[in-house]
Amino acid sequence: MRSTYSLLFLLLGIILVGCTTNENSPGLEYMPDMYRSPAIEAYVDYGMDPYHFGEAQYDSLNSRLSARKPAPGTIAYSGNMMAFNMPYPYENTTDGYEAAGTELVSPLKVTKAHIERGQEIYEIMCIHCHGEKGEGNGAISTNGHIKGIPSYSGKLVDLSEGKMYHSITYGKGLMGSHASQINQMERWQVIQYVQVLQKGGSMPEFDENGNVVEGSGEAEASDAEEASSDEPSSETTM
Amino acid sequence: MNHSAYRFLHSRWPSGILVLLFTFAFGASGMAGVWDEGDPANGEQLFNANCAYCHYINKEVLAAPGLGGIKDRWSASEELLVLWIQNPQKAAESGDPYIKSLVERYVPTYGWMAAQAVNEDEIKDIMAYVQNPPGGGAEQVADAGDACPTIDEMYPEESSNSATIWFLILLVLFIIIAASASNVKRSLTNAYRESEGKNPLAQKTYVESLREWAWNNIVFVSIIGLFVTAYIVVIAYQSAMGIGVYEGYQPEQPIKFWHSIHVCENEVDCQYCHSTVAKSKHASIPSANVCMNCHKGIKNGSRWGEKEIGKIYTAIGFDPATGQYIEDYEEQPIEWNKVHNLPDHVYFNHSQHVAVAGLECQNCHGDVAKYKEGRIAPVEEINALVDEYPTLIQLSKPTLTMGWCIECHNKAEVDLASSGYYEEVHNRLKDDIRGNEELRRYLEDEEVTVKDLGGWECSKCHY
Repeated sequence: MRSTYSLLFLLLGIILVGCTTNENSPGLEYMPDMYRSPAIEAYVDYGMDPYHFGEAQYDSLNSRLSARKPAPGTIAYSGNMMAFNMPYPYENTTDGYEAAGTELVSPLKVTKAHIERGQEIYEIMCIHCHGEKGEGNGAISTNGHIKGIPSYSGKLVDLSEGKMYHSITYGKGLMGSHASQINQMERWQVIQYVQVLQKGGSMPEFDENGNVVEGSGEAEASDAEEASSDEPSSETTM
Repeated sequence: MNHSAYRFLHSRWPSGILVLLFTFAFGASGMAGVWDEGDPANGEQLFNANCAYCHYINKEVLAAPGLGGIKDRWSASEELLVLWIQNPQKAAESGDPYIKSLVERYVPTYGWMAAQAVNEDEIKDIMAYVQNPPGGGAEQVADAGDACPTIDEMYPEESSNSATIWFLILLVLFIIIAASASNVKRSLTNAYRESEGKNPLAQKTYVESLREWAWNNIVFVSIIGLFVTAYIVVIAYQSAMGIGVYEGYQPEQPIKFWHSIHVCENEVDCQYCHSTVAKSKHASIPSANVCMNCHKGIKNGSRWGEKEIGKIYTAIGFDPATGQYIEDYEEQPIEWNKVHNLPDHVYFNHSQHVAVAGLECQNCHGDVAKYKEGRIAPVEEINALVDEYPTLIQLSKPTLTMGWCIECHNKAEVDLASSGYYEEVHNRLKDDIRGNEELRRYLEDEEVTVKDLGGWECSKCHY
């Protein structure tokens, strides 16, 4: 009789204490084998999950992620994007950099759509270091973490598109390789936007098909004229 | 303006060669004072603008050798130092043995230094700063932490646990007092009965006396019993509803990666690290090479110094002292703990929600810029963000439950014309007679929701 009552108190105590929050615990799961399944999924270390495996398999699977690198020498196939999947021919050397600078030209025509997509990519991938206008004054620079990032419209004003492409692919100085984050087509798109920033950030004029009107945004002599004529377009695209 | 200044300075190369010829003709004593005539304050600005990207002012290697102790190391002439800074390739052509050794040692690894647009006086200033930096050349990092509170600081943990403990202590005290009071009462009664010459009462257990007391106060006990039962039922229901709900789950991670430092203080976009979120089913956890894109240069964290950032270097095999990757290093994966885990029988695709629907990350993940390690935002916290994100849809079910998913699919309007994704559906609804009928049915509630387009069909997410 007595034990029944003490059991009841114990149960009440457990219920009350059970209402704590532990950030490290995912809480109760309804049928955990549905949450942690043996099917291959990304970012799962099956070795960490002895739930499904015997000791032998556990050891062999330990620390093996489901994400694998593609077999060496393979080229991704993606239909009409084939031209952007070919391996990059220049080596990651000083000579490769110079060679890319003189030989490599963009396969993309400069259009409004590409520049605007380039701006989107720039604002995700580049802006925190290179700054909104490419002057090297992004938050990481102004916070003092990486200093002296060169400005596109200053030191890098004559940087050729081939060198830009080479730098995004392999990295340059403190900048690391962004090849895993920006695919080849996106690299050329962001370069189109960087070239706009090299000229001070005002968008060139476009015709109704989104192609660049000849002569706009190129000649340095017409800077003042350009700035006034470009104001409306830069406002709409900003 | 900048441009023309650059051009102008570049046009000075011939004069650089003249200086060089001058040096060769009159020996190394032609020009003096590169080391000790400059103004260090101006030098600091110039150094930060031109040199700091690759050089530390101590002896450590960033993307090029540190400049600490340069005066003692530089064994070529001062004119050559000036020329080396203004145009390294030209300086190398001079054939000076020290310059030659520099080129052989560093250029294969770090590449050529870019020609710097600084004149002789400015170089003097820089050298003055490099030799006597204020604060001994320690890396000065602005602390932006105050402007970026983390969510823990904003919502301090409620102390509901301690209330429970006090309740339990009071309960135990009450039982002890009640038991001893009944003991005292019995002894007093027995003493009274003894003085009256009666027999003492039979020895009863606590349980027996409790039962007797309960029978005597049956109405009171029934009401209390009813309350206690109701309480237990409610608690049991609540804990049953908490099964499979992960709100607030924030497991410890192998590296103290704070989202607030990266997103709020340093303004890195979500998609910089989670770069596949608009292209793939997964948002992707960045691999260590993405960390290195910044941390090749940022070796000291603002909170834990080298300790946490050093874990990336251990994983990928990077030597922070030389600024080089270690060759033939066996990389060790960083074993992050998965936070958002949907059951295996649920299909979820990030790109559909980000690229097609155009949702902001905050719609489902809350204000990540205020988080430390990754966590699952409670739905109330997300709802509170509606002022900042006007398109955010407020929901009532806990995050990451099925109720939450379909509640949103029921409320979320689809803009059929916005992206090419719905082009075919859009044309059918617009131009086809049967499509028109269907559209009329969709528009009974005056909007086309995800549910109308099949967002509530079981097989959309379960197959």
